[in-house]
Amino acid sequence: MSTATASRPAFTIPTIEASPEEIYDIELEHSLLEANARLAEENRAVLDGHGITAIDFMGAIGSGKTTLIARLVGKLKDDVGVAVFNGDATTSNDQDLVASSGVQVVQLATVNGCHLDANLVGKALKKIQLADLRLLFLENIGNLICPAEFPLGAKARIVVISVTEGPWSVRKHPHMFLGAQIVVINKTDLATAMDVSVDALTADVHKLKPDIKVIPTSCKTGAGIDEVAAALLAV
Amino acid sequence: MHEFSIASGIVDTVLTFAEANGIGKIVEVRMLVGELTCVDAEQLKFCFSAITNDSALEGAALQIDTADAAVRCPHCGYEGPPKYWEGALSAAFLPTLECPDCGRAAEPSAGHDCSIKSIRYVRDSDPSEAKLSTA
Repeated sequence: MSTATASRPAFTIPTIEASPEEIYDIELEHSLLEANARLAEENRAVLDGHGITAIDFMGAIGSGKTTLIARLVGKLKDDVGVAVFNGDATTSNDQDLVASSGVQVVQLATVNGCHLDANLVGKALKKIQLADLRLLFLENIGNLICPAEFPLGAKARIVVISVTEGPWSVRKHPHMFLGAQIVVINKTDLATAMDVSVDALTADVHKLKPDIKVIPTSCKTGAGIDEVAAALLAV
Repeated sequence: MHEFSIASGIVDTVLTFAEANGIGKIVEVRMLVGELTCVDAEQLKFCFSAITNDSALEGAALQIDTADAAVRCPHCGYEGPPKYWEGALSAAFLPTLECPDCGRAAEPSAGHDCSIKSIRYVRDSDPSEAKLSTA
């Protein structure tokens, strides 16, 4: 098994071509995202080997990822084994919120990083008991752009947006939705106050990706949480 | 700012390669970035220039070529350019995964590249010093 540091691929040099002023070109095929993608596959193999489905939760700061995860954990933990990896740049507030539910939680502090990467997740996988787990929730860093390029080994990716982010959050961050399987539109209890249409946001998502599952939720009233839990168990 | 981690990856990779091959001065790095990645070319160039001082990459130009997106439809068999969402935002046409032919969900088949294609370097004054064996 390779590690992040040992995974640099060997270089090939197909052509060396001289040009005036003693300047040379070297072909150097080297993918910058490949090392992470390979580690993500390794994580996936470990998870599959234990029958664990990992879900990558992505979304902006304040969209309600942590609250949604806490709700889902509360709903699911008596029936299936659940664990949570909380990504956060510096704080451990999120960990505290979920850890009070009694499930295994690992805090992944990226410090200056704007996304979780597969290497961090792989390290965290060694910190928990994998036996008897069925679901692993990976809470990505609050960010609607960067995490899209960094798979972690999850079987599905869920994007959490909320009506408080305004009417254009989908079209402003299209890449996030193209690679996701489920979209949650959260805080629907505030839609009227925000003058934001949940139907219009749903239509925007489907314009980018026609077959994606969209679930409106309110973590405050509990609306839609059952449907999200069912969707995750069906992944 | 994942552009910074990508820029660090470029610098790391190229300097390691340069050192292993006795290359003292690189004048250009050519990249291929896919249309479906969310890597911003201007930010990437800025990050690259900010971390290359005092190295073999100092002053090197970062050329970024774009790889077009393509999709494949599992429903009708379409293969080709994606359908673009015009007017989604004032400035940009957004590539979508709606099949241009049948309107159902297509899958991306190209446009996720983010790789270094080639480097251009100045040969050292004594050509015999340049060791161009594969690393």
